[in-house]
Amino acid sequence: MKKITAYFVLLLLVLGNARLPALAQVKSEVLIKNGTVLTASHGTLEGTDILIRDGKIAKIGKNLTASAGAQTIDATGKFVSPGIIDCHSHLMLDAINEGSLSVTSMTRVRDVLNTTDIGIYRALAGGATTANLLHGSANSIGGQNAVVKFKWGKPVEDFLVKDAPPGIKFALGENPRGTNFSQPGRPQRYPHTRQGVMETDRDAFLRARDYKRAWDDFKAGKTKIPPRRDLELEPLVEVIEGERLVHAHGYRSDEHLNLMLLADEFGFRVATLQHGLEAYKIAPEIAKHGTGVSIFAEYWGYKLEAYDAIPYNAYILWKNGVIVSINSDDDGRIRRLNEEAAKVMKYGGVPEEDALRMVTLNPAKQLGIDKRTGSIDVGKDADLVIWNGHPFSIYSRVETTMIEGETYFDRTKDIQNRAAMQKEREELEKLDINKGPATGGAPPRIPTEKVKSDTDDAENGDGGNR
Amino acid sequence: MKVKLFLFAFAAIASLFGISASAQSIAITNAKIVTVSGETIEKGTVVIRDGLIESVGANAKIPADAQTIDATGMTVYPGFIDALTSLGLQAPATPAPTGGGRGGGGAAAAAAAATAQAPASNSNYALGLRPELTASEDIRAGESQFDANRNAGFTTVLSVGRTGIFNGQSVLIDLAGDSVSEMVVKSPVAEHISFATIPGQYPGSLLGTFSALRQMLLDAQRQQQLLKMYAANPKGMRRPEADKSLDALIPVLNREVPVVFNANTEREIIRAVDLAKEFNLKAMVAGGQEAWKVADRLKGADMAVLLSLNLPKRTTATSPEADPESLEVLRFRAEAPKCAAKLAAAGVKFAFQSGGATAIGDFFTNAGKVVEGGLGKDAAVRAMTLGSAEILGVGDRLGSIEAGKIANLAVVKGDVFARERFVPYIIIDGKLFEQKEPPKTEGRPGGGRRGGQGGGGETPAAVPNIGGSYSITIQIPDSALSSTLNLTQSGGMLTGTMVSELGTSQIRDGHVTADGFSFSASVQYGGTAIDITVKGSVNGNQISGTIDSPQGQVPFAGTKNP
Repeated sequence: MKKITAYFVLLLLVLGNARLPALAQVKSEVLIKNGTVLTASHGTLEGTDILIRDGKIAKIGKNLTASAGAQTIDATGKFVSPGIIDCHSHLMLDAINEGSLSVTSMTRVRDVLNTTDIGIYRALAGGATTANLLHGSANSIGGQNAVVKFKWGKPVEDFLVKDAPPGIKFALGENPRGTNFSQPGRPQRYPHTRQGVMETDRDAFLRARDYKRAWDDFKAGKTKIPPRRDLELEPLVEVIEGERLVHAHGYRSDEHLNLMLLADEFGFRVATLQHGLEAYKIAPEIAKHGTGVSIFAEYWGYKLEAYDAIPYNAYILWKNGVIVSINSDDDGRIRRLNEEAAKVMKYGGVPEEDALRMVTLNPAKQLGIDKRTGSIDVGKDADLVIWNGHPFSIYSRVETTMIEGETYFDRTKDIQNRAAMQKEREELEKLDINKGPATGGAPPRIPTEKVKSDTDDAENGDGGNR
Repeated sequence: MKVKLFLFAFAAIASLFGISASAQSIAITNAKIVTVSGETIEKGTVVIRDGLIESVGANAKIPADAQTIDATGMTVYPGFIDALTSLGLQAPATPAPTGGGRGGGGAAAAAAAATAQAPASNSNYALGLRPELTASEDIRAGESQFDANRNAGFTTVLSVGRTGIFNGQSVLIDLAGDSVSEMVVKSPVAEHISFATIPGQYPGSLLGTFSALRQMLLDAQRQQQLLKMYAANPKGMRRPEADKSLDALIPVLNREVPVVFNANTEREIIRAVDLAKEFNLKAMVAGGQEAWKVADRLKGADMAVLLSLNLPKRTTATSPEADPESLEVLRFRAEAPKCAAKLAAAGVKFAFQSGGATAIGDFFTNAGKVVEGGLGKDAAVRAMTLGSAEILGVGDRLGSIEAGKIANLAVVKGDVFARERFVPYIIIDGKLFEQKEPPKTEGRPGGGRRGGQGGGGETPAAVPNIGGSYSITIQIPDSALSSTLNLTQSGGMLTGTMVSELGTSQIRDGHVTADGFSFSASVQYGGTAIDITVKGSVNGNQISGTIDSPQGQVPFAGTKNP
């Protein structure tokens, strides 16, 4: 008896030790079988497998095999695309605008992230895996951005794409001029004109240059007293040094040109022109400056400076060699950026893969994260979407969305979970604390017909300055 | 004279409550004694002398000069501590109306309005960013203001304001004593921080709140550095600028004064933990109803929780028209009473606080719900006695029944967690307060009862009828906002709506008295809900009054619509 027990213990130990690493390996291997793979970098591959190991794409090819026990997903008849990347979103933000000052470079979107925003899950259900979360556009210089992956259910630190270069929001035109949100009881804030916006930017960079000089002098031992650390100017020094990407909201081409001239003056490159509905007018100049453009596909006219747009904007920019992305700027539109990308095939005829790149590889390039995501290539993060049809068809929908090989949305599981959630709701509603007061009580909020606008115009909840 | 006064108070019919002139010593006998620090004594005596506990035990000797209280069938607890209140503080100063400022330059008028709101100060920082403010400066003298809390069983509370980003430095007070000097046990206890905003100026959003806090803490670090350099050798160095706001943060940076972050939700708590880590602050959180979700982080950061017992419950009426509440909200309410048990299991220290609840008796019944949620009764008692005292840095003098400690005791009849609980005797700093049990027919024993204060003029005066529709103009600095008030009166209650270009707001807590009317409402303004309080009066068809909001007070006036 004793002997047998000992034997079992030994067996367990041996097996346990031997199997633990194996188990760990199996756990991190996923094989997607026999799908139509839209790589976004090297064409469409029919009947192709993708092997994922430790969250990275390990192999792409036919008849791949995985270790025993690896998760296998049959993608026969299905399409696999890179996870969609949104270069302009305000999802997850508990505050969007620090609208009190014209320069709020000291603010950080990172401080106000809400990982429980249900919009994250909805975005996943639309195939979005990554987003550039931006401060609003109320100010000439807004706050610092956060590039996140939508790791729903994970702690906030896990959302951040750690090696993404930092960025900052700038804004031109009506929003920083303040005409869109004059509020009762508040004085009109400087700047009030477009030239004032440029002056505000230039003044901030001149201050940043002086600030850097003060620190350089201190570090070189020329001064005794350490300068004051200035959280407003530090990120602007990083911009001048090319370490922080400028994402500039703006509509009019003259303003875009002015900003690029200002960038030349201080020796940096504007990373993206956000919205840029008139960018087609200055496509060669933008290409020369090496700036990306992130736009809506065919949406304009929602405010005065957004009138002079054409649906061929993306096409003309693409033709001129500009890196173009299609963004959402909206918690609703982020769920269907695939359809937005499809539209640029219609207007002008951008080829399919280039259109797909506008919501995958191109925004990855604009955000400086294309080494790790944005296309289906060996070595990249396994940020993948499995669709039941071609993502450019409005009849297609997402079956599975995974980030770094881990599934964050699964349509089948979602449907299965609904009954359990309904049951949980019923149980919770039975509790006294969840019942309304017997008499009186505050009046409940009754939904009205007023629909929150999905544009960044004046109808929006925060004064339209996103 | 003293005796006469005492007799008079005792005789007053309105008063259920008497104050004894302190005898030389007091002995509470035949009581069950929950010492908290040691074993519970099933039947014993506590002897109090000169404001301190002289002895405690099953066979403690009763001094010859002692006033004896026979507590047969009652339980003696250490005086209960409410670990976060605003008790004793002056109501925040209501700013004078900006009077005649209309028509001036916009920015100047707004600046004038802002300075009119701010009490005079030489701080370089806006009101709301002044860590030097100390609650002990604002405590009112006089113990009668604490009758309700004392009658409920509290002997000690932490008190601090609730406004601004820096709420200021808190003070721990005993709820007895006629001068503030007598009340104060410890000051400052902590620097309190809310993730709030300063409407109309920087920081006006949560984004700015964090950058403003971060910049001030950095500036305070530098201030300390410069002061040290200057102290070492002032020659050849410009003197550092005097800055009382930054100076007040230096003990915080040096971990001499802890920081309390008001943080209730998971993400607020994470932000508090992160900020504390960034500046190596000694910190805790207050509120903490979702703290169980981040217990590991709190444990890792060695942060305690001043846990609110203002347990969430649904306050809105049901309506078939309204959307169902989110699962998130339903779960939050169900989980909140289990929070303490989970924190205890994870080894996170916590102390109970009333969380701004108005019905103070709920504190103990809600503590009972927390016990139902899985927390041991002993642990629950500890979280409102010794546990609180330790977290607040006074565990060596308060919170347990031990010889030598401050004589703060609550003698409780009935289960301390039950609504029928009654506290016939409270002893604070050795001073005995006695409460007569009300007749059984009267509701709510022990909770929320005001002590008799002469009790004159309780009969309500005739309430005017002010129901109807009014067109009013609200005088916001530099502009005017038109609004329509639709008021429906039912007795002394007021309901209805307030309609303006900012939308329609439901009136809450509306009351009409002979002196006028008042109500609260939330107005959507710049993307956020702003709570306003409206007070006014109706004279014929004229209506006028004031509206208070976080931005200050503005006047309004108008006429009744025909």
